[in-house]
Amino acid sequence: MTAPAIRTRDLSRRFGHRWVLKNVSMEVEPGEAVLLVGGNGAGKTTLLRVMAGLLKPNRGSIECSGSVGMVAHHTMMYDALTAAENLAFFGRLHGLPSDGRVDRLIELLGLAEFARERIATFSRGMLQRLAIARSLMHEPDVMLFDEPLTGLDDAAARIVLGVIAELESRRAALVIATHQLVELVGVAARVGFMVQGRLAAIEPIAGRDAGGVVTRYRELAADGG
Amino acid sequence: MAGSSVASVAFAVAAKDLRVEWRTKTAFISSMVFAVLVLAVLYFARDKTAVGDFSIAPGALWVTFTFAGMLGLNRAFLIERENRALDGLRLTPASPTGIFLGKIFGNLVFLGVVELVSLPLFILFYDVPIWRQLPVLLLVVALATVGYVAVGTLLSAMVVRTRFSEVMLPVLLLPFLVPPIVSAVQLTWRIMALRPLSELTGWLSLLASFDIIFFTLSLFLFEAILIE
Repeated sequence: MTAPAIRTRDLSRRFGHRWVLKNVSMEVEPGEAVLLVGGNGAGKTTLLRVMAGLLKPNRGSIECSGSVGMVAHHTMMYDALTAAENLAFFGRLHGLPSDGRVDRLIELLGLAEFARERIATFSRGMLQRLAIARSLMHEPDVMLFDEPLTGLDDAAARIVLGVIAELESRRAALVIATHQLVELVGVAARVGFMVQGRLAAIEPIAGRDAGGVVTRYRELAADGG
Repeated sequence: MAGSSVASVAFAVAAKDLRVEWRTKTAFISSMVFAVLVLAVLYFARDKTAVGDFSIAPGALWVTFTFAGMLGLNRAFLIERENRALDGLRLTPASPTGIFLGKIFGNLVFLGVVELVSLPLFILFYDVPIWRQLPVLLLVVALATVGYVAVGTLLSAMVVRTRFSEVMLPVLLLPFLVPPIVSAVQLTWRIMALRPLSELTGWLSLLASFDIIFFTLSLFLFEAILIE
């Protein structure tokens, strides 16, 4: 049994008087990918933001054994800078050497011909791929994805799925919040079902397809989590 | 991941901010237009038979610097709100102190340029004979600007998550600016009036004390503001 890469214990978070996360406990091992499934407002994004350290939990704790990367709804980058400048800037903040990784990541994500263009001109799909490149700059041990395939066409989605597979192969722990189960159900070992801020269940995928995951989610949602 | 040193983070953040401003020129153009308008309005709005150039000039200079600078301070963290770039900063191991110093340095350069361009316009409008006293005046401008930028950068970070941050910043910042602006106006008047240096030391000490206290406080408080 290896030590988990990330572990949460009774994590709770409220906004005003509303609890959007309620006693979430889970752990993800190195090299494991866990999908987070749930309706809008179920607490998936908040859970990822708390795991990333962007939000403080009101209760509970998080233990993380390494560095964290995150891809969220927003790019977290600057429109006035080029793709390469954005990555180089975040690389400097991570204390990384200028060793060509900016060019390698831009190439890997299929953005080589746009590297010197300001990202204000980028499409949604290009921005999403660049955001993934940003999050990979420091080769994180834990990677948090919030809807990683949103806005991507088939070719771009294949690139991102390739990146996810590579992260798993180098033993990064992945937590992926998504509604796009058809594409992602094959990459994960387990699935967590978020219902009204609770982690209603976290189970092995065990051969289930997207339809099977949705059916199980509906059962849990009907029980109120 | 060990992350970067405070100095290299500060340098990276300042360089990034200045590069973004150089590309967009949003805050610079707004600040310069604003500065020219304030100088002109204050010059033409007064009754020349009742108020001479000499009486109004110090106040006009500092009102111009204060309000023109506020546009730049507002911009300092608004660019971090676009695309939630501030979250990107927080996901790195960069020290909050480094980020804050970078923001301060970027704002100092920005405001310094606005002041350097505004100053000749001020001399032109108000016909004040300050060329020989320029080094002392520049010292006053530098001291007042450091305190102004330290408090302004901190408050800019505080209000950036609020819905009306552009309105909130002046409301919160102006009360803090009373000591440095009053000191700067008094000093400017005395410099223009060719008063002896001994008359300046008290106000200069007040200005320097404000800088030290508020720069230190801002540095300590920024981390808490950045976290949430």
